[in-house]
Amino acid sequence: MSTVAETIDPYDITLRSNGLRRRRITEKLMGVLAIGSALAAVGILALVLGTVIYKGIDALDADFFTQPRPLFGAEGGIADALVGSALIVAMCVIFAVPVAVLVAIYMAEYASPRVSVFLRIVLDVLNGVPAIVVGIFIFGILVVGHGQSAIFGALALAILMLPMVARATQEVLEVIPRSLREASLALGVTKWRTTTSIVLPAAVGGILTGVVIAVARVAGETAPLLFTSSIAANQVSTDVFHALPTLPVAIFTFADSADPADQARGWAAALVLIVFVLVTNILAKVFSRGRTGH
Amino acid sequence: MKKALVATFALAALVAIALVSGRAAAAPAATQDASLTGTGSSFVFPLVSKWIPAVGQAYGINLTYSLTGSGAGIAGVTARTVDFGASDAPLSADQLTACKSCVVIPWALSATSIPYNVPGLGGRLRIDGATLSNIYLGKITNWNDAAIKKLNPKLSLPNLKITPVFRSDSSGTTYNFTEYLSSVSSEFRSKVGNNTAVNFPTGVGARGSAGVAGVVSKTEGALTYVDVAYSLTNHFTFAAIKNRAGAYALPGLRGIKQAVSQLPKKVTSLSQLKIVDPPKSAGKQAYPISTFTYVIVPTNSKSAGDVRKLVYWAVTQGQQFGPPLLFQPLPVTVQAFAYREIKKIQGV
Amino acid sequence: MSTIDDSAAPGAGLAGTGLERRGLRLGDTLFRGVALAASAGSAFLLGWIAFKVLDLAWPSIEEFGLSFIWTDAWDPVTEQFGALAFVYGTALTSAIALVLAVPISIGIALFLTELAPRRVAAPIATMVELLAAIPSVVLGLWGILVFGPWVAQHLEPFLQNYLGFLPIFSGSPSQAGILPAALVLTIMIVPIASAICRELFLRVPRDLTDGALALGSTRWESIRGVTLAYAAPGIAAAVLLGLGRAFGEAIAVTQVIGGGNSINVSWFATGDTLASRIASQYQGATSQLQAGSILYLAAILMAISLVTNVVAQVIVRRFEKARRAA
Repeated sequence: MSTVAETIDPYDITLRSNGLRRRRITEKLMGVLAIGSALAAVGILALVLGTVIYKGIDALDADFFTQPRPLFGAEGGIADALVGSALIVAMCVIFAVPVAVLVAIYMAEYASPRVSVFLRIVLDVLNGVPAIVVGIFIFGILVVGHGQSAIFGALALAILMLPMVARATQEVLEVIPRSLREASLALGVTKWRTTTSIVLPAAVGGILTGVVIAVARVAGETAPLLFTSSIAANQVSTDVFHALPTLPVAIFTFADSADPADQARGWAAALVLIVFVLVTNILAKVFSRGRTGH
Repeated sequence: MKKALVATFALAALVAIALVSGRAAAAPAATQDASLTGTGSSFVFPLVSKWIPAVGQAYGINLTYSLTGSGAGIAGVTARTVDFGASDAPLSADQLTACKSCVVIPWALSATSIPYNVPGLGGRLRIDGATLSNIYLGKITNWNDAAIKKLNPKLSLPNLKITPVFRSDSSGTTYNFTEYLSSVSSEFRSKVGNNTAVNFPTGVGARGSAGVAGVVSKTEGALTYVDVAYSLTNHFTFAAIKNRAGAYALPGLRGIKQAVSQLPKKVTSLSQLKIVDPPKSAGKQAYPISTFTYVIVPTNSKSAGDVRKLVYWAVTQGQQFGPPLLFQPLPVTVQAFAYREIKKIQGV
Repeated sequence: MSTIDDSAAPGAGLAGTGLERRGLRLGDTLFRGVALAASAGSAFLLGWIAFKVLDLAWPSIEEFGLSFIWTDAWDPVTEQFGALAFVYGTALTSAIALVLAVPISIGIALFLTELAPRRVAAPIATMVELLAAIPSVVLGLWGILVFGPWVAQHLEPFLQNYLGFLPIFSGSPSQAGILPAALVLTIMIVPIASAICRELFLRVPRDLTDGALALGSTRWESIRGVTLAYAAPGIAAAVLLGLGRAFGEAIAVTQVIGGGNSINVSWFATGDTLASRIASQYQGATSQLQAGSILYLAAILMAISLVTNVVAQVIVRRFEKARRAA
């Protein structure tokens, strides 16, 4: 760091004035605070991750991954919650991604500027709706009278995923050069063919990255699932028409327990969830960096 | 030609999605493979956990139960999001109307214990209803208060703040506890009242029996109300409560049995099942904070036949699983009442 | 955003030659129709959510009207409900979280853009992003079992020892309460806010900061006078986005806030926020009025989130417009 001040004549009397010394001290202080903030952030991350790893690692045995959640006073694991979470997140992606991509295509390719801005606002507002309100919404229109089901849980998560993926897709579509589309159209390809066979394949990498990041966010959501898929049998099941246990809700329940065995399971389940989220995030990063060739 | 294909494909996909969501929406909570879903009281959860494998063997019924609190059990069965609800609190007249032809059947009997976390006492804590009310009203705030000393002259009570812990979710245990406090303290009845969720003037809230048990185990000076099965499993020390006979009773099987000894010969309505603060004639060991716990069943639903089997089994063979968990088997008069109510559950 | 001029549509160049391939229009129309349906559906979904919340809240809106918002009551026994205690809880926890998170986030962003050499900046930036990725239920688990007890046994007594004359640090330390909840919210806001600030600081034109340095200001003075001033609207937007996140956070908060019913001056006391109360009581609402009141809380929460969101967007848009005009 070389400020202009440092090249000033060292015999200059202004250097010995209090004003400049005070300013230098302020500068050093701010530097310390900035470093301190960064250290604090890193420290908290290390603390949380460290605690989860330290407390959770002991409970990670074969039983943990193969046994379903235990009933009162019994032994068990999180096998049923893992299966349930996987199924619900998979369904969520199937529900959300096609719709999100279509919305982004409409915004990027067809809509007038005013409609596009309107849709952008709609998506941003949808993104800001608290997850718990989305859970209550699905509960109110679907669960009431029909019971919980994994499909309803997936729908609630899909509402959360939709704005994220749509925005990511839209940004990717905008980056693709107009010349690509125009060349295709000039050759006589229909507009919809252009979009699906030329533009989308070029955008696939970015869309995939957006989807992966959204999956990492949505896999840890608890609130919507509390109302739509929380009353589930303590056994591994793939029946998506009934409620399935999920990892976040299992952690939520374990957290409250006074039983140390339950708490240990909670930590271990949290470890599994964090590992999944972190690996997914890193994958997305590696993928996007590979794409842009950094 | 190709567009026609694509168009047909799109149409087929749309139809498929519509069918799937339609079926998901139309599928009742109980399907033809005899699976039942219930929710509610965490009080009865230890016992229901034992019933799940047994009922599966006896009738092939796949029973799923999750704890959400009695309030959620009532709300769930009212909204028909589950096949049955479990609650330690009987339904009020309004709730019964809202449930639309539901029956409320007592299916287990146990007690609410008062565990505490006070190190170095040197003996079991003795407490009475008036002192308990004052603690939860915020009038007694320290363990070395004169009122507590008076009841426990032999214990070394430390200078430690009392943290009363209550259920923040809608709980039948809260109903039972506040029912008791309301009957022994008119101030409590007017200031706080008796319900599954009340406005406690002081203290810390936690979700579920597990939640309050968790807070107590981590906080010195805390005390709470939780069903005795939870106290036992977590090795809590619970207090002995003074009953009307002047003696200090514990929430064991004998204490509960004596608490229900004054029931009428023939039980005809739920209001006769109030057993808190039993009279002197109940016995020296009658425990004052005992309660029945109920199952709420719609009389006409697709799963009514299976639920009928479940409840009948629960009030007969199911009772034998109770004693190790401190659930006292139902008295004969209450069983008879239950049979009469079960008959009201028709099939569709 | 690009809209392709339809005059480039297939067959247009062949107009008048009788060779327009009318069949191709079907594919275009269908595809456009499907995309339009998806977009319209999304807008409709948003409206439906707002409608449903108000619809379910109606019994309570009808009963209490607007005064619900400033009534301090929550008694299921007497069926008296009011949102004030939770509006207070939401406002207080979010305010504490913001006051703590903003300087820390700016500090981190400054560190990453100005102070750290590139080899150090990249991993630290990644670590801050990973902090954002931790699910809130895991933070809640950590909050209940580790952080809450630490706050009760160490932080709160410390604050009471030195600053106990302040009423906000009065009362007895508790592992569940406003302070632990606010601190957990801080941990959630910092990564988001610092990521946004970092982007902003990277975009400040070099020549502006260089000019300040040339005039003899220290590094910090150029940051304060130029970078922060330039990025101020963006920082405001970041603050609002963080605020929005704090308002809507239900799970981690409900696990550490203790579910209190009343307004307390002390930060050690238990309390509740709008989102947290909804999470803990909605399923157990035993009367229509209570369920409606909880949905009324949800409506207030949605309104607050909406306003924060819209204001943040307006700021960002005006910021970008001014930037483009410059």
